[in-house]
Amino acid sequence: MELTFGNAATKIIGSTGFSSLTLGDGTMILVACVLLYLAIWKKFEPLLLLPIGFGCLLANLPLSMMASTDSGGLLNFFYQGVKHEILPPLVFLGVGALTDFGPLLANPSTLLLGAAAQIGVYTTLVGAVFLGFNLKEASAIGIIGGADGPTSIFIASKLAPHLLAPIAVAAYSYMSLVPLIQPPIMRWLTTAEERKIKMEQLKPISQTVKIIFPVVVTIVCCLMLPGVTPLLGMLMLGNLFRESGVTARLHETAETHLINIVTILLALAVGSSMTADSFLRLETIKIIILGLLAFCMATAGGVIFAKIMSKLSGGKINPLIGSAGVSAVPMAARVSQKVGAEEDQSNFLLMHAMGPNVAGVIGSAVAAGVFISLFGDPTVVSNHAEISTNVVSTISALSK
Amino acid sequence: MDPTVTTSLTVSLIAISVIFTVLIVLIYTIKLLVRLIPYEEPPAQKITSAALPKTSPSNISPDIISAITSVMATHLGKSPQEFHITQINPK
Repeated sequence: MELTFGNAATKIIGSTGFSSLTLGDGTMILVACVLLYLAIWKKFEPLLLLPIGFGCLLANLPLSMMASTDSGGLLNFFYQGVKHEILPPLVFLGVGALTDFGPLLANPSTLLLGAAAQIGVYTTLVGAVFLGFNLKEASAIGIIGGADGPTSIFIASKLAPHLLAPIAVAAYSYMSLVPLIQPPIMRWLTTAEERKIKMEQLKPISQTVKIIFPVVVTIVCCLMLPGVTPLLGMLMLGNLFRESGVTARLHETAETHLINIVTILLALAVGSSMTADSFLRLETIKIIILGLLAFCMATAGGVIFAKIMSKLSGGKINPLIGSAGVSAVPMAARVSQKVGAEEDQSNFLLMHAMGPNVAGVIGSAVAAGVFISLFGDPTVVSNHAEISTNVVSTISALSK
Repeated sequence: MDPTVTTSLTVSLIAISVIFTVLIVLIYTIKLLVRLIPYEEPPAQKITSAALPKTSPSNISPDIISAITSVMATHLGKSPQEFHITQINPK
């Protein structure tokens, strides 16, 4: 072909992203910039919103092949970790390595608060069905109320992959807003007298119990709800690294480098799924509203249940720790401490609130397990088996 | 009522019951473990002069003091009202 100045210039102009930029792409680039602004200047969950925002930006640059759906593109490879449920369990491994279950073991009844806060999940599920979502989609939206990003992504990728982007963004955005969402609800549902309740000091726990606990939880919970094994199994393995005292290097890796690397991959993959086609829909607005409802109901459920426990125990439990039953660790526990200290500076609720807070992590994982048991697709397991067989045969072929 | 809404209410009731059941089983398992393996006090350590505090906590944020007080109270097995942090020596 003859390359004149005119057709060369036309060809170059045609090959730029500007030639293919649509209104949808432009809007999504704006959404990405808003996420970056919230992460950098407003400090809203910056470790997650920044890579999510940048992933969204990359995915919406036309012809860049960076969307999760662009087969062969870089972020499409990262997205396989979400699609095949690899990355969220790895985040849980790091969370387990970071978590001290001591306060929960010292006061095991706080596990009930972790269960009560899941009420937010189910009220949102019913609300989502009212708004026209089917049961699988409603379950994936409802799990936002668990205030657990990796669990939300895990369930969304299993039950409603087309809603993954808005669900992940809603979950992480509201998690960062926990210090703003929870306190008014906590103050509204409790009296000044209740907020002043000082709780008894937690008893110390034997290191042997701390070592046995993750093994026992894995056996009990995973036998009752096998669907929860990838999440809970990894959470407990991470915790066993921490408590066993014989895997210092693995513990250090899991709680620092591994969780950081996986967070980058996971957040970029989620961001890459935020294309105009998947995000600029009426469903996104509905999910954002339902996500807020989920967080409010989860907080209210925890506080109300803690009030009941306080009455039954003769005022030994401060109802403010109930709000920590959502699993935003340790932010929700810090909110309980802060609201309690506003009423009485000498009231230290932090360690007491850490019990329901880590119980919330287990609670939301169990809630996810229930959804997988009810709505999970058994063919996914056979698909994974097929993928592993293909990988093994490819490796064998290459080695020959 | 729409049958899907009825189903969602049923699912919610069943699911919340399952969660409470699983967590109640865990509560009793933990109680059993704690009863079978009680905590043993570690041998007391001598306090050296190097451990003496040097920095006043007045310029440290109340959140940090709350966190240190809570952890110390748990570690010492005492109520936070039984002791008072007067100085903090950062690394």
